[in-house]
Amino acid sequence: MQINDTLIDDTFAEAFPMKATRLVITAHTPVWANHAAMSLTGFATSVIGCGCEAGIERELAPHETPDGRPGVAVLLFAVSTKELAKQVERRVGQCVLTCPTTAVYSGIDPATSRAPLSDNAPLGSSLRFFGDGWQIAKMLGNTRYWRVPVMDGEFVAQESTVTVKAVGGGNLLLLARDMDSALRVAESAVAAMRRLPNVIMPFPGGVVRSGSKVGSKYAAAPASTNDAFCPTLIGLSPKSELDAEVSCVLEIVIDGLTDSDVGAAMTAGITAAVVLGRAGGVLRISAGNYGGKLGPYHFHLRQLAAGVEGRRA
Amino acid sequence: MRTTTLRVRSAPGCRVGAEQLLPTGLAALTVAEIARIVLPAGNETCAVGDLFDISRTEGDVAALVIEGEVQWLDRLGANLAEGRIDVQGSTGNHTGFRMAGGELRVSGHAGDFTGCQMSGGRLTVDGNSGEFAAGPLPGDMEGMTGGTLTIRGNTGARLGDRMRRGLVLVGGDVGECAASRLVAGTIGIAGKLGPHYGYGMRRGTLLLAHAPAHMPPTFTAGGHGFDVFWSLMVRSLAAEIAPFSTLKASTLPRRYTGDLAVDGRGELLIVG
Repeated sequence: MQINDTLIDDTFAEAFPMKATRLVITAHTPVWANHAAMSLTGFATSVIGCGCEAGIERELAPHETPDGRPGVAVLLFAVSTKELAKQVERRVGQCVLTCPTTAVYSGIDPATSRAPLSDNAPLGSSLRFFGDGWQIAKMLGNTRYWRVPVMDGEFVAQESTVTVKAVGGGNLLLLARDMDSALRVAESAVAAMRRLPNVIMPFPGGVVRSGSKVGSKYAAAPASTNDAFCPTLIGLSPKSELDAEVSCVLEIVIDGLTDSDVGAAMTAGITAAVVLGRAGGVLRISAGNYGGKLGPYHFHLRQLAAGVEGRRA
Repeated sequence: MRTTTLRVRSAPGCRVGAEQLLPTGLAALTVAEIARIVLPAGNETCAVGDLFDISRTEGDVAALVIEGEVQWLDRLGANLAEGRIDVQGSTGNHTGFRMAGGELRVSGHAGDFTGCQMSGGRLTVDGNSGEFAAGPLPGDMEGMTGGTLTIRGNTGARLGDRMRRGLVLVGGDVGECAASRLVAGTIGIAGKLGPHYGYGMRRGTLLLAHAPAHMPPTFTAGGHGFDVFWSLMVRSLAAEIAPFSTLKASTLPRRYTGDLAVDGRGELLIVG
């Protein structure tokens, strides 16, 4: 399949079950909510080395937040509920509790969640101990909050956050003629994906250059460079999938609350990429998988691209 | 589901216990079976059919409607967990005793111990209530532990005594020792306060729509920086009775904390 002369590989992205939660961080101004969210989602690109994958989902207007202040919705993904709870406690404790004027709430409504619910993860219930006995619990309606005295007033945190069974590891590989084209298409695709709810692209700018494969020649390394897509290894690596025309490959990794969210984001990315097309330096779109044996979620590129507009060949 | 209507036929000369009159239980019975239910009346008993005319209609939820004045009927809605009770008149003591869910509405007045030890659901009294509303039974350690109790009129002494959780809103005046020994939860009072309010208050929130005539000596100015919590509280009260529904997040109340004679982490929020 070719759209606007960009080849869509007959392959699929392979994704995995993860546990996820959404946190709503509010603050006195959007600036401080963003400071906290940026800090919380820092160093959270991959579960391989960071414990979780996290990103800013979107900014929230005051009427969308529990306390009527501007806020930011962030999504965190981890391989287990236990690890997710650990990451939530550490990151909120170090990055939100510490940030002036912030408060934090659970951002998933169990009544409307399309993702299957999992166990709740502690939020205020573990952070409250910072209050050294001065903290106060408050039940408002059916929601329990903790009020922890801090130097600018009170840090308010909902007692726990709802977690769900989610999907991590959806991906697109963008094969381009040169570096400028690769960056341009990756930025365009990420921008299109970020307009959608329930997904994050956890890598810097939403893009990763160090796509990995499982395993390594070195026993201690669980993952290593994806030599099949490294342009410097064309003609050298026996697994190389690149031809001489390709000089840069960038990957976008997508985590979503449901497989349909990930699929929708991948479709948005493909759509943005083929708008640039071959004329814009986008030669191929591919995806990473492990032969379909490891992850239960398979996102076939040609199915996702079936409804994408463009000149077909 | 079925709606059971009990219309008062004749008032007995004694107090009658109404624990058995729960909407879901009655919905499963025929009118004849309901008429044969025996209610305790002091050392005596009396049948529901001797006290009420009974009728039955179909509805969305299991409901019990009582038409007429039943100040002699105690423990109405005791242990209510689901369904709705609508009293078109006044009730006796212990209305909503240990209520855990559902909805109970009294269009008239209620006696003493209204919402005593209730743990869930919504209890609304359009008129006045007696003493010890939302409190414990004498000698028990905990009063109300959940749910919402709304009293549009006045209430007597010891409102919310030993209350631990939940929301109590009073549209009128309250008697002495309101929020005494309050462990936690929220009590809102729109009218005047009797003496000794907040006595022995450990934690929890006492929200006053008007400034009290005097401050308890064991409360201290509670500082600033609680605007996030206030915003959450204002929003949680938006669907409740006035004046609490009209509070503004932008208008911070004055805050005092106490009772310093005990734990001292209770808060007194004065809006007016």
